[in-house]
Amino acid sequence: MLKVKRDKLPQVLSVWSEEAVVYTPQEEDGVSTFRPWTGQAEVTFKPGSTVLPPKELFFPRTEEMYRYRVEGQAAFLEELSLPQQKCVLVGVRSCDARSLLLLDDVFLTKGYVDEFYRRRRENTLVVALACREALDTCFCTSLGVDPARAEGVDIQAWEKDDGYLLQATSERGKALLDKVGTLLTEVSEEPPAGARPSLEVDPEGVTEKLQRMFEHPFWDDLWHKCVGCAACTFLCPTCHCFDIQSENRGNEGFKFRCWDSCMFAEYTRMAGGHNPRPTRKERVRNRILHKLRYFPERYGKLGCVGCGRCLERCPVHMDITKIIQAIKEVALDG
Amino acid sequence: MNKITERMRERAQELLAKGEVEWVIGWEKGSLWYHSSPAFVRRPEEVERLIWDDFCANNLAKYLLDFTQLEGKVALFVKGCDSKGINRLLQDQQIEREKVYIIGITCPGVRDARKARGKGPEALETIDLEERCTFCTRPEPVIFDEIINTGEKLPGRGEKEPRDRFTEVERLLALSPDERYEFWAKQYERCLRCYACRNVCPACNCRECIFDRSQSGWCSKRIVKTENEFYGLTRALHVAGRCIECGECERVCPVGIPIMSLHRKIIKDLNELFGPYEAGLDTETPPPLGTYRTEDPDYFV
Ligand code: SF4
Ligand code: SF4
Ligand code: SF4
Ligand code: SF4
Ligand code: SF4
Repeated sequence: MLKVKRDKLPQVLSVWSEEAVVYTPQEEDGVSTFRPWTGQAEVTFKPGSTVLPPKELFFPRTEEMYRYRVEGQAAFLEELSLPQQKCVLVGVRSCDARSLLLLDDVFLTKGYVDEFYRRRRENTLVVALACREALDTCFCTSLGVDPARAEGVDIQAWEKDDGYLLQATSERGKALLDKVGTLLTEVSEEPPAGARPSLEVDPEGVTEKLQRMFEHPFWDDLWHKCVGCAACTFLCPTCHCFDIQSENRGNEGFKFRCWDSCMFAEYTRMAGGHNPRPTRKERVRNRILHKLRYFPERYGKLGCVGCGRCLERCPVHMDITKIIQAIKEVALDG
Repeated sequence: MNKITERMRERAQELLAKGEVEWVIGWEKGSLWYHSSPAFVRRPEEVERLIWDDFCANNLAKYLLDFTQLEGKVALFVKGCDSKGINRLLQDQQIEREKVYIIGITCPGVRDARKARGKGPEALETIDLEERCTFCTRPEPVIFDEIINTGEKLPGRGEKEPRDRFTEVERLLALSPDERYEFWAKQYERCLRCYACRNVCPACNCRECIFDRSQSGWCSKRIVKTENEFYGLTRALHVAGRCIECGECERVCPVGIPIMSLHRKIIKDLNELFGPYEAGLDTETPPPLGTYRTEDPDYFV
């Protein structure tokens, strides 16, 4: 296995920076997220996932889609150039690596390809970092995510006390390691054991159960504490809803898309004012059903990766592990 | 079980069993020892869910807006700060006094759950108080039908005087306008427009918020710095003179924006312009911006 000494890591990042923007988890004002590495000599990875997930590097919170202009009777469209920037994302945890695969399902499969997303995904290499330590709110293993080995990434890294073990897991990852070959040494060390999250839930059978629970009184009691904000969905690495609107100035304007949340009243409000999800009850039900029923029905996997961000930063600690457990305990007739 | 919890369950049980109230709103335990969460109880046999501990930070007053159509009464537990939220809703004519049964808790203080991350229950005493508790001058509720007072003191703060709540505002005021803009721009750059701050706020009680009408043309749904700043300023000005300083908005912000510094700046200005005023202490004194007196300063007219 290859290894980079801790003090050599900045040099590795520096080589990669020659052709790409290198992102690392960085904390500012107490909030960690992936930010461009700008040559900092100190590169540290705190245990667990970042407060903000890496999804916005592929699916920004707001992006322009095209511009338009009207002159007399004629209308002109201006396409925007697709994202070109090459990126290397360093330090992605297994939960977030899985979330990218789920976003791929949404944005790249079933007959529709989102070009903005596809370009960013193709332009970005992902270096995963195994978790030695879980946060109190991590429950990835319950969803079949292995904290010690990420899925669908280009390089897997494991932190040791004096450096990082590295293994290429794709052709592109191998090329990336070759570029920094002189900074790496071949060692016969074993990767350290992965974290063991203490929070656990068994989601087995929850999808089938939910298929029979749309009208169940279970939902009558669940929603009260939810305040209907979007903290859970905006922090969730797999939530991917967006709205498309336009902004006009005189004869010209642009279309943009921005994150939207099924927890908002406006989300399902139709022309004329009717809202098929009139209260927080229907909205909470939708969030849970989307993650645990609709996503598996459409893509064959659960829409949650067990990162625990929602239950940690929800103003009322609405807890998806408790909800899964409660769903399993609901008694259905027949 | 602590004495407050014991008393809470007892009273909730009685009120529900006698049919005096239809719902009791309190707190229950989450999955983690430092997570406490609002609880809604409607059957006497469920009162065992109710708890009081160092993490019962959520202000429950806002939930009363969910029960305005209910025929019967709702009981809820309030700390000192939360009780001002009830006055806020009463004064704003959002709820009816007769339909609420208020059980006050003389608050021993609550701690900052985010600071407990990664620690075990044995570390309880080392976990900081919620910021608002360090400023708190009124742990005793200002409005209640009955009170639970176990004589406990604020942990951590002990017998110390409350901190001066304008210290941070003054620090920001000492910056140059450019530096100050830099500071706020950096904060609002990361605002997600999740509206958690608005949704927990008892002063944000409009039936429909302008920010839920993104096609009105007044505000944009684009999550970008300038629009986020517009949101933050609009909300700050909309709660001006009505903010009860419960600090919930800042506590729940998932990205840690120091919202209270903005609100406290406005409170400081109002105090200087119209004389000292603390919102939510009673329902009679009109908020400074909700009334007109001939001696009000009028230099801007
Ligand atoms: S959820 Fe699992 S993979 Fe994600 S940070 Fe926690 S331990 Fe690591
Ligand atoms: S579950 Fe929590 S974070 Fe999500 S909308 Fe409800 S209150 Fe907000
Ligand atoms: S639902 Fe919650 S735990 Fe699951 S992936 Fe989303 S934020 Fe993470
Ligand atoms: S809670 Fe924070 S992130 Fe959410 S809208 Fe308010 S200021 Fe923005
Ligand atoms: S603005 Fe913040 S501190 Fe003021 S009443 Fe609303 S939630 Fe409480």
